[in-house]
This record gives sequence, structure tokens and C-alpha cells, in this order.
Amino acid sequence: MTAATATPATAVSPLLTRLAAERATGALLRDRGTLFLEHGRVVHAESPSTPGLGVLLTTGGGLAPERWNEAIDQAGARRQVARFLVDSGGLAGGELEICQLAAIFDAAFFALSPGSGPSRFRRGATHWIGSVRSVPAAAVERETRRRRELLDAVWPYPRLDTAPVVPRPAAPGQTVTARQRLLLRHADGVRTPADLAWVLGRPAFHTLLDVRRLAAAGLVETPHEPAPAPVAGASLPDWMTQTQTPDVALLRRLRDALEASL
Amino acid sequence: MANVETALKEATTTIEGALGAALVDYGSGMALGTVGGGKDLDLGIAAAGNTDVVRAKVRTMEMLGLNDEIEDILITLGSQYHLIRLMKARSSGGFFLYLALDRGRANLAMARHQLKKIESELEI
Repeated sequence: MTAATATPATAVSPLLTRLAAERATGALLRDRGTLFLEHGRVVHAESPSTPGLGVLLTTGGGLAPERWNEAIDQAGARRQVARFLVDSGGLAGGELEICQLAAIFDAAFFALSPGSGPSRFRRGATHWIGSVRSVPAAAVERETRRRRELLDAVWPYPRLDTAPVVPRPAAPGQTVTARQRLLLRHADGVRTPADLAWVLGRPAFHTLLDVRRLAAAGLVETPHEPAPAPVAGASLPDWMTQTQTPDVALLRRLRDALEASL
Repeated sequence: MANVETALKEATTTIEGALGAALVDYGSGMALGTVGGGKDLDLGIAAAGNTDVVRAKVRTMEMLGLNDEIEDILITLGSQYHLIRLMKARSSGGFFLYLALDRGRANLAMARHQLKKIESELEI
């Protein structure tokens, strides 16, 4: 937290900031995800680390998978899947918008993560989902930063985000909520938080946050941080590594001089 | 059919005494949309903070063994009412509406009723 407050103005992605200022339209591609912009505003985002809108609506929500597939078949080529879902009565407009917003911020969190590699921009590219709602790029950056800080404020062990989730027995009298029980039931010691997000149809960030809270409560094992790598001998200066017989005469003289000055 | 912004605008214009409204994602503590608020009431901070309120109540109910659901939560301040309404539809479960009201001007029963109506409009 202190590090974050010390450098509040660092942009999450300088390229995104520039594209927003240019009011650019296209796809911002990074290793861990893609942001789709329309006139500089974010209209969609996707990331291999997150379940995405389809899973949120079908597994997590009440939409039948057939309706989702039908919408892609019928309206995918026209790039109006979202509008088709609402117009065909498959989904309320408000529900779609809420899930779409949740999906944007979820995917953006991973796409804009520090280890996501270099950015490229494909000008003019659009997504087949079509535009439902757009959010300012600055709001996406602000929220991404808030989410990073929130995770570390809850339980600062980033290794939990990628390691398999290993449940621990609850302490006597400890309360586990229904939402936590559902997650723990699917945690088989192999699935990572991202895998659990797919199974539960929940956004991946929400699962990361749930897992960090569970670990803080002692209901999930916190992976041990690897011991700091032993410092390679080569990086130490010669005078430390090359042991030489101490110059006894010099040490004696030094001692005598020190004692004399006391 | 209503979108988030029109629903929140409706909440702040039709509900007497409304100071601000937000639609909040319970899983992340983020406000998906806000209307009103201003410098006296930062709805982004209110969204994150009230997520903790909801989580604490859910846990308390679990401790009490109450097998029930929260419909809404009312917080009464000296000068304001804060109303939290949990959304029930499957795909919008995990979201709540947050409404801040001026206690001197608001009709609480009416406000609860209107907020319920706005929730149902978002889900139909």
C-alpha cells in the first residue's frame, strides 16, 4: 500500500492513455488479454485468464447455452451478438449490461497486469459482441489499480493467485458462508483460482479475492514463498570470497592504536 | 427494459430526498454506475465500504444459522438514510443497489418501494 501511495500517478498502460487521448478505435493486444476501444473508450475486454461474458451469462447466470450459441451464429458475423440477445428476449438489457461491465473490468485487470508483456494496437479492429456500454479508459485504469491494492490489503501473498487452491479444515466454531462453501467444494487441490472461476461462472478477479480472503481466514493453505535464492558466489567481490590468512601483525597494531586512543 | 444509468437516474429523480445512487458489484466492491453523490458523498468509496457491510451481515446470518436471504439493509444516520438492496436475478446476483437519502425529506416506506421497482426494471 505504501509503495502504491508513493507513486499514485503511474499509468497502468501509457499506450492505453495515449489511445484514449487520440480517441482511437481498435484492439489493444497484450499477452494476458485484449482491450477493445471505440473512440478512445473501452467497449469490451477479454483475457485467457478470465471466463468471459459467455460463461458469466450461462454458467453464472440464467442464460441457456443454446441461446448464447444461437446469438453467436445469427449475429456474430454482423458483430451484434449483444443486441441480438436482448432483442430476441433471451436476456434483460440491464442484466446484459451489468454482466458486460463486470466482464470488461475483470478482463482488463489481467490484460493490464504488470507481467502482461508489450502492447500492440490493431487499429479499426472490433469485437463480435458489439457495443453495449463503454467506459472511459481512465476509469478502467483506476479500477485496475484499486483491485491490485485491494488484493494486497486483504492478504499480501500473490502466489495464491496462480497456485492450486488447497482447502484447510475450518477451526471449531468458524463460520464459512454459502459462497465460500461453494468455492471450497470445488477446490480439489489441483484447480487454480482461474480454473475455479470457470467452474463457478464467476469473474476471475472475484475468485482471486475470495481465495485471498479464505487464505487470510486460514481456510485455504497459503503457499510458502520460495526461499530467497542463494546469492551466487560470482556476484560477490573478491575480497569477500577469497579467504586470505589474516595479517596478524597488522591486526595487533590496529588494536594497540585503538586502545591507545581510548 | 432499463439500462444501469437510466435506472440510477430514475432512482435519484423520482425518489424524494435522494442524494445519490450506485449499482455495486459485491464480488469486487466496484460501483458499476453512480448518479449523484458529489464531494460530500464519494459513491466509489461508499460502494467499496458497503460491500463489507453486506459481507458482515451475510456472515452473521450464517453464524446464527438463519437460512434466509437479505432483501435490504437500512442504515440510519442523524441526517441521512442509506439503503442497500441486494439484487436477486440469477445473472445479476452478487450486485446491490445503494441509495443515500436526506432523512429530513425522504419517505422511507416509499423509497424502499420505489427502489424495489427500479430493481425489477433492471431485470426484466
